[in-house]
Amino acid sequence: MISGLSNAAPAPATGHGEVAPAISISKLDKEFARQKRWKELVRHPFQREMIPALQSVSFDVAPGEFFGLLGPNGAGKTTLFKILSTLILPDSGSVRVFGHDVVAAAATVRSLLTPVIASERSLAWRLSAEENLRLYAVLHRVPAPELRRRVAELLQIVGLADTGDKMVGMFSSGMRQRLLIARSLIARPQVLLLDEPTRSLDPVGAREFRRFLRGDVAVRQGCTVLLATHNTEEALELCDRVAVLDHGAIRAIGTTQQIARQLGDDVYRVWTRDPAHRSFQRLELDGILQKVSSTPHVEDGWTAVDVTLAGSADEAAHVLAFLIESGVSVSRFERRELSLADLIERVVTAPNAIPRDA
Amino acid sequence: MRYREMREIGALLRASWLSAASYRLQTVLGIVALVVGIIPLYFVANAIQPTIGPSLETQGDQYFSFLLVGIIAYGFLGPALSAVPGAIGGGIRSGTLEAYFSTPVRLPVLLAGLSAYTLLWTLLRTVLLVAVGAAFGAEFSWGGLPSGALILMLIVLAHLPFGLISAAFVLAFRTGGPLNRGVMAVSALLGGVYYPTKVIPSWIQEVSAFLPLTYGLRALRRTVLEGWSMTAVASDVLILCVMAAVLLAIGFWVFNYALAYAKRAGTLAQY
Repeated sequence: MISGLSNAAPAPATGHGEVAPAISISKLDKEFARQKRWKELVRHPFQREMIPALQSVSFDVAPGEFFGLLGPNGAGKTTLFKILSTLILPDSGSVRVFGHDVVAAAATVRSLLTPVIASERSLAWRLSAEENLRLYAVLHRVPAPELRRRVAELLQIVGLADTGDKMVGMFSSGMRQRLLIARSLIARPQVLLLDEPTRSLDPVGAREFRRFLRGDVAVRQGCTVLLATHNTEEALELCDRVAVLDHGAIRAIGTTQQIARQLGDDVYRVWTRDPAHRSFQRLELDGILQKVSSTPHVEDGWTAVDVTLAGSADEAAHVLAFLIESGVSVSRFERRELSLADLIERVVTAPNAIPRDA
Repeated sequence: MRYREMREIGALLRASWLSAASYRLQTVLGIVALVVGIIPLYFVANAIQPTIGPSLETQGDQYFSFLLVGIIAYGFLGPALSAVPGAIGGGIRSGTLEAYFSTPVRLPVLLAGLSAYTLLWTLLRTVLLVAVGAAFGAEFSWGGLPSGALILMLIVLAHLPFGLISAAFVLAFRTGGPLNRGVMAVSALLGGVYYPTKVIPSWIQEVSAFLPLTYGLRALRRTVLEGWSMTAVASDVLILCVMAAVLLAIGFWVFNYALAYAKRAGTLAQY
């Protein structure tokens, strides 16, 4: 188990005596040049087509908060992580870690924040796990008297104590992932960036690791954690708040419960014998229903139709009354509990419908 | 340099050594090849001695020693030119670069740590070459060795900037470009490695005046073969120092520019 507090510099206060947010991102923009084909390169050698990677991204993460970044591949999560890690320079906007700008005070930021580099190749494969950790302990300025104990603790935490002297090249993928995590924790960072940390772990290992992240890293050490994940259940279990990123823009942000309430309240499931009844179309045309979608669920001849209301819960009563008056047979009319995965899909596919709290 | 930075360089050096030492057969074969390689050198040098001997002048009378010193200095050019781009390129391919750049270690310290092993290994090979060369009858002025070591360091410093520029190419374009190979080839042909520069045809001899190796090698041979003092070779050393200072400033500027470009373009650790 990890003991003691972080050895990184204390967080500076703001001008008003308040503690600065662990991470503060304001109007962050980043775009990359698209790689041109040979033909384009010859025709227009100096013309560049830019692809936005991040668009006006703004949010704060409080010290000690467990914050999730959700979104499909290519959403901009990795770019955001690399900007925070000072590996990519932002085009505009401001990114601060405990009040330190990632461009102007890059070295200070690197002493406060550690990314978990997911690539297994970033380990020294010809060295033992222990030697890998010793190297990064020195590079992260762990005091010499503490080094040996710290390495042993971390090997214990990630379950590699018995194989610490074994060459990393002989490790399984899961063992290397655990070593990558141990490496990132060696400096006791104040902010930890985790990109899909449990993807190579078996279900039991992943559960234990999540418990360790929440209990030891976040609660006991007070480390601020930014977690990028596709695993929505993982985000639900770990994160205080999540942001959904898509095409480089924040589509939704808040606690998982807030997002679920904001986005899930307006979806109802109607069990009917007339799923193609024109009343559904009429409600949709009138703008009372935003979306009508048939589902594959059929029970004793009753078909489930999911409808998304444009208005509040009162509207639901109006819709039900209208359907019955129109002669639609309805056996059940129930609010649908959406999973976070469903919510994210909705955020990504219908961004205009999504409220934001930040 | 602070203790902390020495410790960081030491840690990188240790990791490189442990990694290289894990390939035990390769390490042993490398040393054997070095020792065995001197034997033909000795016989060829002795065969050419009567022809080339008179043109050596103030750079030792024995061609075998002359050649050995040339090969030792040239042996340092390889690591000086390729250590940094090699470490950067390897780091990009393996993903270690991103991990190293995420640590709070200062860039010059990181580069020194990543190149230290290659340079130290070359130093060890040099000691071995000198010892085996002496056993084969090479005549050294042993008192000149400390000055020689200093001049060798200057030769490395004067060539390191080409490595930095090559590393900048790796960061920006994912290839080191032709610079290193060009410097190696021109230095071998015109820098006085295998023969004194005065035997080069006059129309091309002037090019050798622009090579740091010309001055470095001349000063090195005069100190370690003829026993000249540092004061006596001051003019060559001074030119070498000026070249090293100017080239280092250019090298670091180009490298930092390429690093900033790679960070802007988002290609720093892109394979």
